[in-house]
Amino acid sequence: MMRAENVSVHRDGKCVLAGIDLTLNPGEMLGVLGPNGAGKSTLLGALCGELKTSQGQLWLDGQPLAHWSGQQRAQRLAVLPQSSTLSFAFNIQEVVAMGRLPHDSGQHRDTEIIQASLEAADALHLRDRSYLALSGGERQRVHLARVLAQLWPGEGGQTLLLDEPTSMLDPLHQHTTLQAVREFANRGGAVMVILHDLNLAARYCDRILLLESGRPHAIGAPDAVLVPDALEAVFGLEVLVQRHPERGHPLIIAR
Amino acid sequence: MRPMTQLTAILTGLLFTHLASAQSQPQPQRWVSAGGALTEWVVALGGESHLVGIDTTSQHPESIKSLPSIGYQRQLSSEGILSLRPDILIGTEEMGPPPVLEQLRAAGVKVEVLSAGADVSALQDNLKKLGALLGHDSQANQLSEQYAKQLESQHDWLAQAQLHQTAPGVLLLVSHSGSRPMVAGIGTVGDWLIKQAGGRNLATHNGYKLFSTEAMAGLNPEVLVFTDRAQGGASSRDALLKENPLLTSTQAARNKRLIEVDPTLLVGGLGPRLPEALKTLSKAFYPADGSLNAKVAPAQ
Amino acid sequence: MRVALQPKTLFIALSVACLLAIWLSLALGPVSLPLMDTLRAGMRLLGVPVQGDNLQQAELILGQIRVPRTLLGLAVGAVLALSGVAMQGLFRNPLADPGLVGVSSGAALGAAIAIVAGASLGGIPESIEPYLLSIFAFAGGLIVTAIVYRLGRRDGQTSVGIMLLAGVAMTALAGSIIGLFTYLADDATLRTLTFWNLGTLNGASYARLWPLLLVCVFVIGWLPRRAKALNALLLGESEARHLGIEVERLKRELVLCIALGVGAAVAAAGLIGFVGLIVPHLVRLMAGPDHRIVLPASALAGASLLLFADVFARLALAPAELPIGIVTAFIGAPFFLFLLVRGRT
Repeated sequence: MMRAENVSVHRDGKCVLAGIDLTLNPGEMLGVLGPNGAGKSTLLGALCGELKTSQGQLWLDGQPLAHWSGQQRAQRLAVLPQSSTLSFAFNIQEVVAMGRLPHDSGQHRDTEIIQASLEAADALHLRDRSYLALSGGERQRVHLARVLAQLWPGEGGQTLLLDEPTSMLDPLHQHTTLQAVREFANRGGAVMVILHDLNLAARYCDRILLLESGRPHAIGAPDAVLVPDALEAVFGLEVLVQRHPERGHPLIIAR
Repeated sequence: MRPMTQLTAILTGLLFTHLASAQSQPQPQRWVSAGGALTEWVVALGGESHLVGIDTTSQHPESIKSLPSIGYQRQLSSEGILSLRPDILIGTEEMGPPPVLEQLRAAGVKVEVLSAGADVSALQDNLKKLGALLGHDSQANQLSEQYAKQLESQHDWLAQAQLHQTAPGVLLLVSHSGSRPMVAGIGTVGDWLIKQAGGRNLATHNGYKLFSTEAMAGLNPEVLVFTDRAQGGASSRDALLKENPLLTSTQAARNKRLIEVDPTLLVGGLGPRLPEALKTLSKAFYPADGSLNAKVAPAQ
Repeated sequence: MRVALQPKTLFIALSVACLLAIWLSLALGPVSLPLMDTLRAGMRLLGVPVQGDNLQQAELILGQIRVPRTLLGLAVGAVLALSGVAMQGLFRNPLADPGLVGVSSGAALGAAIAIVAGASLGGIPESIEPYLLSIFAFAGGLIVTAIVYRLGRRDGQTSVGIMLLAGVAMTALAGSIIGLFTYLADDATLRTLTFWNLGTLNGASYARLWPLLLVCVFVIGWLPRRAKALNALLLGESEARHLGIEVERLKRELVLCIALGVGAAVAAAGLIGFVGLIVPHLVRLMAGPDHRIVLPASALAGASLLLFADVFARLALAPAELPIGIVTAFIGAPFFLFLLVRGRT
């Protein structure tokens, strides 16, 4: 669980993010949307402590973020970046096992968790392959398994931040990934995910934050936020919003 | 004398002789030598049969070339030398590395460090020491005196020549296939060669130093003495001028007064072949009939 | 592409190789000692009263020459290999080698400064000379590592090209300054500089070994404890931080470790290249990149490799000796080219 109050970030003297007030509650998935340069990655960086905030406060599980030691923080907060630059030939088992680094749960329990995470990320069949032999999409799923393993099972309100986890995936795996993240939230985890696909956000997220030029344009349920006026204002795109015939969530169609 | 007294005298004499020889150090039998000229002196003093190993700078006379090589004098190997079971290792201060010399001493090998200084008194000192070690003291004295005499006659010749001609400005260059020539400065054997042959060494620094070709050309030597560690003959002269084209502007090049010497003449202090080399050099410095281009052949 | 070797098999094989290397290094050399003599002399040196005639020479060769030389080879080999692993972890690139990146040259320059400064102060006392050289070499290696690191890191990634170019520049700069010293030095200093500059295990003595052995113990004791953190660092600095690792501290510690290791090795044995490149690479090829295996295995493999190379160096041209840096370059340079070519496919 995380809370941000009046957070702003400056870089090179310029304000790149301001006026951020949000809460990541256990069991909830918050989607962050916005055009390029809107500040989505900056927000994620500020929340996980990577970027220094020039104003505002951050709380993780009720305590100020800076209060936690590195290991304690890693037990409560995990981040899945957009891409990875790992260039050594670990096998998949080893990569996912690194997610258990902050914990002292013992080898037996770790192996169980690794297995479960790989299954959740639909990467179990890759277990004995070498990381370098995988495609971009497969690698992304392996890293998802790793961060899931880091916070497994998610029942304690642990926070998971994801930066465009579906960018390199085929349509099927875009859904299986977000479904796995959804299940993590359902178990009790607090999730914030940056997405560029409006419809994926509409389908999987409980709430949506629309960012524009570093400021929150709107935050609320998908129905409330994903409306044509707001989307045109933020993205400059004329859209139609309809309902998904089976699921009922908003379906955004470009005009 | 009565027989008994005679016998006593003989026996006493024998006893004393025996004691005397037992007291004096046994001469080292197996020699390893590191340092060009020193090896040549050992051979000149009749010690060639004692040599069991030589370094890479020891290349004269021809007959010793088949001896096992202990490598470069600055990179000796303790075990390598010990495998030759030497009694003594001779060399100059250039010999090393120091820990190896320590190990050899600890192993019971006598390590005699002789001077590589480019002056006659150092040489005479070396000869005396070598002579004592070989047990050929008289021969050493003889060689010493001979050397002095040769130098004397060299000086006499010079005195005559200098009545009619002035001493030429000279530079001595040591290069490798013509490139990166080092200039012999004060205190080197090269410098000694020039001066003894009656030239003026235009270099005023100490030791061997790298000069730019502009600097060399600027000094405008009348004679250029050069030595090439890689080549010999006409090709080395060509290589020198090719790598340093500015040299062609010097008087020496224009008057074709480029003289080659054998590089092994310059290592290990003053060597036995130098007086011969001096003769040829000085004839080139003071030509009877104008400029000469002469190669100084190594005297065997 | 990995040859799947179980860790246990790997360690057994490496331990056997190391013991074999030690044995060869003690038993072989330009002086041919009969096997029994070597064994008896060895036992004598360990204090076991053993009968035998003419063991003096064997005891001398073994005790004064071969044993210190073997110890030096083991220590230098292990430390250089471990420094290579640390370097590759720091730069997150398997081609990073302290020699290639200029760290060794920086260390050499440091030691050269110590020699020249010492000479101008009237010579360094024999007892502290190895320590003084090590300290200066360490400082030199530290400065160059820091410079190359700053230059080579961009957007959280290492640019190999920049790293190698920086290494070329550093090596050239260090070489030119040492050349300047050589030019300006008087004969005695020049001799000391030259003697020290040639990479060799020659002349190894117990006295000169101490700084290196101390560093060796430290590095071997400290690095493997950071194995898991090093694994995580390979994921990326941010990722490692998100896993709870104090990345900045780890990086500083790695830089210190590399500088210490390379500094001590260079001060004791001059410039010996490619060990830090070949050894970790071969180990990874055989057993994967997990540092918990790579670190101890590299130490064993590095020690063995250097000893084998040294035995070859002493015997190939006996009674002369090949500089060991030439042997390792002979193995290492083609290997490096092979790696570069393979990396393109």
